[in-house]
Amino acid sequence: MTSWRNTRGLRAAGVSVVALGLLATGCGGDGGTGAGGKVEIRYSWWGGQERASLINRTIALFEKKYPDIEVKTDFQDYENFWKKFNTQASAGNAPDVFQNSVAFLRKYDDKRVLLDLSAQVEAGNLSMEHFRAGLDKAGEVDGKLVGVPVGGNTFALIYNPAEYKKIGVTPAEGWTWDEYDAATEKISKGGLPGDSGGGGIMYLYDLVLRQNGKAFFTDDAKLGFTEADLEDWWNKNYARTKAGVLTDPKKIEQAKPTSGLSKDLSAGEFTWDNFLVRYTSETKTPLAIAPVPTTDGKRTGQYISSLMLSGSARTKHPKEVATFIDFMVHDPEVGKIMGYDRGVLATEEQFDAYEPTGVSAQIAAYEKQIADNVEPITPHPAGADIVEAAFLRIAADVFLGKTSVDDGTKQFFSEAKTALGS
Amino acid sequence: MSALTHPARRRASRSVLWHVGALLVLALVLYPLFWVIGSSLKPSEDIVGGLELFPTQPVFEHYRKLYDGIADIPVSTFFVNSLVLAFGSVAGVLFSCSLAAYAFARIDFRGRNLLFSLMIGTLLLPYHVLIIPQYVLFQKMELINTYVPLLLGKYLATDAFFVFLMMQFMRNLPRELDEAARLDGCGHPRIYWHIMLPLSRPALITSSIFTFIWSWNDFLGPLLYLNEPDKYPVSMGLKMFIDQDSAADYGGMVAMSVLALLPVLAFFLAFQRYLVEGAATSGLKG
Amino acid sequence: MTDTQAAPAPSPPEERPAPRKAPAASGRRRARGENLAGYLFMSPWIVGFLLLTAGPMLASLYLAFTDYNLFDSPRFVGFENFTEMFSDPRWRKSVQVTTSYVLVGTPLKLAAALGVALLLNKPRRGQGFYRAAFYAPSLVGASVSIAIVWRALFSDDAVVDRSLQVFGVHVGGWIGDPDMVIYALVALTVWQFGAPMVIFLAGLQQVPRELYEAAQVDGASAWRRFRSITLPMISPVLFFNLLLETIHSFQIFASAYVVTNSKCGPADAGLVYTCYLYEQGWTNLRMGYASAMAWMLLVSVGLVTAVLFWSQRRWVHYEEDVR
Repeated sequence: MTSWRNTRGLRAAGVSVVALGLLATGCGGDGGTGAGGKVEIRYSWWGGQERASLINRTIALFEKKYPDIEVKTDFQDYENFWKKFNTQASAGNAPDVFQNSVAFLRKYDDKRVLLDLSAQVEAGNLSMEHFRAGLDKAGEVDGKLVGVPVGGNTFALIYNPAEYKKIGVTPAEGWTWDEYDAATEKISKGGLPGDSGGGGIMYLYDLVLRQNGKAFFTDDAKLGFTEADLEDWWNKNYARTKAGVLTDPKKIEQAKPTSGLSKDLSAGEFTWDNFLVRYTSETKTPLAIAPVPTTDGKRTGQYISSLMLSGSARTKHPKEVATFIDFMVHDPEVGKIMGYDRGVLATEEQFDAYEPTGVSAQIAAYEKQIADNVEPITPHPAGADIVEAAFLRIAADVFLGKTSVDDGTKQFFSEAKTALGS
Repeated sequence: MSALTHPARRRASRSVLWHVGALLVLALVLYPLFWVIGSSLKPSEDIVGGLELFPTQPVFEHYRKLYDGIADIPVSTFFVNSLVLAFGSVAGVLFSCSLAAYAFARIDFRGRNLLFSLMIGTLLLPYHVLIIPQYVLFQKMELINTYVPLLLGKYLATDAFFVFLMMQFMRNLPRELDEAARLDGCGHPRIYWHIMLPLSRPALITSSIFTFIWSWNDFLGPLLYLNEPDKYPVSMGLKMFIDQDSAADYGGMVAMSVLALLPVLAFFLAFQRYLVEGAATSGLKG
Repeated sequence: MTDTQAAPAPSPPEERPAPRKAPAASGRRRARGENLAGYLFMSPWIVGFLLLTAGPMLASLYLAFTDYNLFDSPRFVGFENFTEMFSDPRWRKSVQVTTSYVLVGTPLKLAAALGVALLLNKPRRGQGFYRAAFYAPSLVGASVSIAIVWRALFSDDAVVDRSLQVFGVHVGGWIGDPDMVIYALVALTVWQFGAPMVIFLAGLQQVPRELYEAAQVDGASAWRRFRSITLPMISPVLFFNLLLETIHSFQIFASAYVVTNSKCGPADAGLVYTCYLYEQGWTNLRMGYASAMAWMLLVSVGLVTAVLFWSQRRWVHYEEDVR
């Protein structure tokens, strides 16, 4: 039985089978140096087919400029991307370069999956200059550079302007939660709930905490708030749900995979600013974007989150990986092609090169508007993704009336401890 | 005269009743499928949660877009890949599972009960925990990004479902047949090939249909083992339309699912009649 | 499960007519020939089992006793994973959800499959068309599009809700309702009754017409013919379907996963066993715990299987038993 440890036994089984000649013809071409001295790197990301078409065009540009590097692509939707990635990475076969998010840096750095690119920066293969404010340090973990931002996004209120016009309110920079609560209450009197309900969104609660000088996670990988804090937050949201100010969570559940807002179940929703593109494509109702309210009218607590490119720690071609990432984040042509598909472009070169139109222009304007108030990001410890999922799930239990706020809070703290402890 | 036609008329009215009943159940069962077909003709934003069956103003843009390919890959590529995998799987299952089924049903070899228990045991474990060890295995054999991991198991009878299905059928065939053949000096290979296989046609056809459909719909295997989009089958092409942070193209996805249905439907239509014919023409019963 | 009635008890060799070639062949020689033939026929399966199934299964058994996050070497923890399960409220919830799904879904699906198979078994005009049409839902599997259809059908004021309102019942949306979502999943599995239906049909085709004709002459009612001819004659197929559908129901994953938008919610109401196993193994990267869960499922379903195999002596009739 012990021989199965480290799957060494399996390895032996596999090798012996090959030796037996049962399947002597190994026709798998993986990595390595291809014909004619070309270096082949594998690049994976999550996204739909439109993103794939855009990325294919940028890779064509790259291969033209670097004819000695060949890029093999692979992409899936978000859930399946991670499933495949985990399988491959645990078997030591992760793609050389892959899309990543700030939320997963520590999780995979802990498991030594990510390539530290600092040596490549020193060697001049990758430039970390000219990143937009709030993004230059986003990919660093404990002094290592494990991710390079390709695009940034930040939280916003996406709303239905017609409903706000009806009650004579214009959401604008500097507005407070009291004003927001009053406005949504007024809107819901007209029949449409004012908000889809964000009591289970970790990133929204993080902002509220940050506005009050706290944060969801502390630097030493713990929760940055007390049970009493969370009870207040969930009690408030539960009361507003019961009052009909927030949409009935059953309806939100039912509307998936579209959001409550794009199914016209509410007049607004807190989410990432770049989701405006997706929401707009899902509804005929015109939508707009506004800043998240504040507690004191000043401190927004906002930070720029981002999608990144990371390298695999086991890649045989770190130099080529760095060259590739460098091209993808700095080349102005790449910026023009990609637009805001992965968030607002991360470097000055690309941000300036791309001229946004339509909803993208709204998003760009919004990010410019809040740029002066951006703060450093809340750390995402390993296990943050599990905590986020538990927060969302238990909040749904609570708002559906299946669990009391008290019990839900206890349950969350216990699950969070397990997730962050390991 | 009335006495003469009476049974015929009763038979006719019963037939009408039968058809009415069958059509009613059918309408219920097919409603969701009509909904999918109808949705493929709706504008994307009307699809999710849309209540009406067919749009008043059908749009064909989703199909037109598919014609241009998915992620720069012609749609036909996905279909060809899926067909290769599906037919490859059918051949493997028919070959390997029928051999094992015959052994279980008709050969008294030592250890049969143990092997049978092991086989049933393989049905019981959820595959999610087998993924990593299997992946490691195929990686060591350098077979990642080929179709071998997706097909090898079919040729080695790892689908216990089909072994079991064929075995249940073979066990129900009259023993006299093989006993007579034995008296004529036939060994197992000839009994298997000349007697049992032809008589098991309903089971073989059923297995082929299931294998084809399961292979066609299989997503997990291709997801893990194939690393290049132009090797992907249809099931993976289907997932390319929706991702959490892009604008979702529900129209494209629904249209693609309708297209994906056609080959499986065709395969089923082509072979379903043998389900009946198999036993009916054998003329052995009674 | 060890005593498998399904594989008929080997009968003593002397009862069998010996091959003509060797009229006085010793029983032992013959048995050796049978063994050789048996293992030759079984060889693809044996290779497949050893190569592709046994290894991974043993590996998962080992992992069940470890703490394994997919990236670091597994750490042996004894029975910790198993004891944790019993104090894990979500694990208990998943057992409860799965059990009710199996108990409600499997009988309904088999009843639908057998009912429609009987309906289609009579040679009638358009029979092939009906058979194909009833099978069609099974062609689509569990894809994103089926999830979207199902959500649409069971949403507030949609076709299901409106039909029920005719009878004065107003549920609203099923998928968003923690009390109803499991029934929406049951409806989905029942809807895809095509696979067991096809197997029933193939079994029904094996029933000799003459038996019915004889019964009709004796004036047996339709119900009586069904009870005394059809049911016994198709009992091996019924057994097969019952066993496989039960096993599959315990392992339901794909449909629950897509219909509930990958969350198996709301409020864990759709948290079927494998969904939780998946979450622990692949999202939380606790593959040791997930493997332990898998083996717990294997043992439980194994027990259910054993009971079914044991029960088949009483109600399943094989050709060799008849004579």
